[in-house]
Amino acid sequence: MSKSNYIYLYDGSFINLLNLIKILLKKKIIPQNIKDDTYLPNLLEQSFKFKIEDDEKVIQEIINGTSKNILTTIYYLFLSNEENKELLIYYFLVHSLKFKNKVYYMRNLKSVDKALKVVMYVSHENHKFKGFVRFKELANNILYAEISPVNNILPILSNYFKKRLKNEFFIIKDVKRNIVSVYDKKDFYILDGEEFKLIGNKESSSEKLIQDMWIAFYKTIGIKERKNDRCRRNFMPKKYWKNIIEMRDEL
Amino acid sequence: MDIKEKLIILADSAKYDASCSSSGSNRKTKNGLGTTSIAGICHSFASDGRCISLLKILMTNCCCYDCKYCLNRKSNNIKRAIFTKEEICEITLNFYRRNYIEGLFLSSGIIKNPDYTMNLMIEAISFLRKKYHFGGYIHAKAIPGASEYLIKKLGQLVDRMSANIELPTENGLKLLAPNKESTKVTKIMKYVDNNRNARFVPAGQSTQMIIGATNESDLEIMSKSASLYNSYKLKRVFYSAYIPVNNDKLLPSLKLPPLKRENRLYQADFLLRFYKFKVPDILDEKNPNFNLLIDPKADWALRHLEEFPKEINSASYDELLKIPGVGVKSAKRIISARKYFKLTFNDLSKLGIVLKRAKYFILCGGKYFIDGNNFKRNFIEKNLILEDKIYETTSNEQLKLSLFDE
Ligand code: SF4
Repeated sequence: MSKSNYIYLYDGSFINLLNLIKILLKKKIIPQNIKDDTYLPNLLEQSFKFKIEDDEKVIQEIINGTSKNILTTIYYLFLSNEENKELLIYYFLVHSLKFKNKVYYMRNLKSVDKALKVVMYVSHENHKFKGFVRFKELANNILYAEISPVNNILPILSNYFKKRLKNEFFIIKDVKRNIVSVYDKKDFYILDGEEFKLIGNKESSSEKLIQDMWIAFYKTIGIKERKNDRCRRNFMPKKYWKNIIEMRDEL
Repeated sequence: MDIKEKLIILADSAKYDASCSSSGSNRKTKNGLGTTSIAGICHSFASDGRCISLLKILMTNCCCYDCKYCLNRKSNNIKRAIFTKEEICEITLNFYRRNYIEGLFLSSGIIKNPDYTMNLMIEAISFLRKKYHFGGYIHAKAIPGASEYLIKKLGQLVDRMSANIELPTENGLKLLAPNKESTKVTKIMKYVDNNRNARFVPAGQSTQMIIGATNESDLEIMSKSASLYNSYKLKRVFYSAYIPVNNDKLLPSLKLPPLKRENRLYQADFLLRFYKFKVPDILDEKNPNFNLLIDPKADWALRHLEEFPKEINSASYDELLKIPGVGVKSAKRIISARKYFKLTFNDLSKLGIVLKRAKYFILCGGKYFIDGNNFKRNFIEKNLILEDKIYETTSNEQLKLSLFDE
């Protein structure tokens, strides 16, 4: 009953997706596509949903069958904004099971090449945001930041700030996806923006002065004889400016 | 004077220092605020396109010296300010918590004498580390002439320490910075080099030279750099195109800072550090200055065309590195990939190797990218210059620079 020209559905979570792929591989099904279950098939498409158990064992199985690096690569693919990322993950995993870590050099395989490019993009964007996130201090001492990245980097980014701002409470909100990450000095939790509403988001009394000082510093530190707008935009694309406070005046 | 006004004055005086990187250290904190990242992180980019990673400030712009090229020299009539240690901590911590910065870059004009100045700097930094448990990046300028025990104390608190050599020759120094001697600077470098470990200047030391304020040739500058790298294992030599801030008959009257020349020096610097080139490969008495039209690596290759074109599928790692447009990463990728299949031009692009320059100097499976009869100096030179022009110059070259940055 399950066929190759079906679109297979999963519940949108990483574990669910991996378990689905495991079933497909076992049954030797090459899917036409894989989509989360909000997907609306068109008239010519047929979709199918297995009953999938969310078994976390699959993580270890992938590591055993390939490597930790490959699991990370797959996770980064999952966080990407790529339209057919699930199918990309499927093919990347198929090649990885065959080639193990050598897969990273098999750029002559189209799906591998594409996957690695997407992963590069996610990891670059994550790296950029380690610098571009701007927190403000709320009256209750919590640090709060809003971001609008292209890829869904919130989990990996929060993991980074968890180490850096270990002894602070912080909240990062991905405005576009309407999800927030909340860190309570122990761990962080990713929540739906609808479930999580910030009460009392007033800024702390010193916030304005600190922001003013930073903007003053920013304006001072550029050397006008070396002005180079194009170079600046190369490094700090305009699409990120609205959440970078020192750039607001120039938008 | 309020704290914001001080910040403006003391950042304005510090902005000409070229170094900003926050890399090379891997600090983790148990109970304090902050970490450092081996690769370094840029938090913003200034209007001049330079990365902003650290809160770059002077402790004070008061100075009892009179270096001709410096805004803060004694004889200039400018507004002076001094930060207290509490103020330095307050700004650093507040900026750091909000993720504006990776840490602090602290330099200073010289008040009273080098030891007195260093002591004040050490107090501020030690406050930051010990009272506030700050675990972010700190780069401090050591004051030439300060006592060794102070260098030792400072080195235990910071990630990176540096002392600026300022000018490539002793004559240049005598002319423009009569209070400075290069031996005072190299003494610091030597001490740091001899004592460096995980708890003493873990991210190593760097230095800076001003380019174009005196008439040294590029050969003299590069020779100085090479000797500094060899003698003291510096992480970086920074080159800072001279920007006129003072009127002085001893100084050249430039309209624009020599940015192109600065760029060539950085490129040549990379060749020394990562590409196994030596100064005489790049410059000599007959050609003591860089060709401003062509980057040093391509320039070298054009003068050694007998070694090219190189076959990508068989050239050794060292040979790959000498190909214009092929960097360390690209060379490694080629070596790994060709184990599994024979590389074509198309595969190279897929590996993410930029062929813009490289294609003129390589063969893939015995083939040149166009008719092999074109492999001639004139043709290649003309096209390299043309492509540079099309591709625009400054922004992309600076992009490349920062990608390679440590
Ligand atoms: S020592 Fe020379 S370069 Fe340094 S602040 Fe004083 S005048 Fe300027």
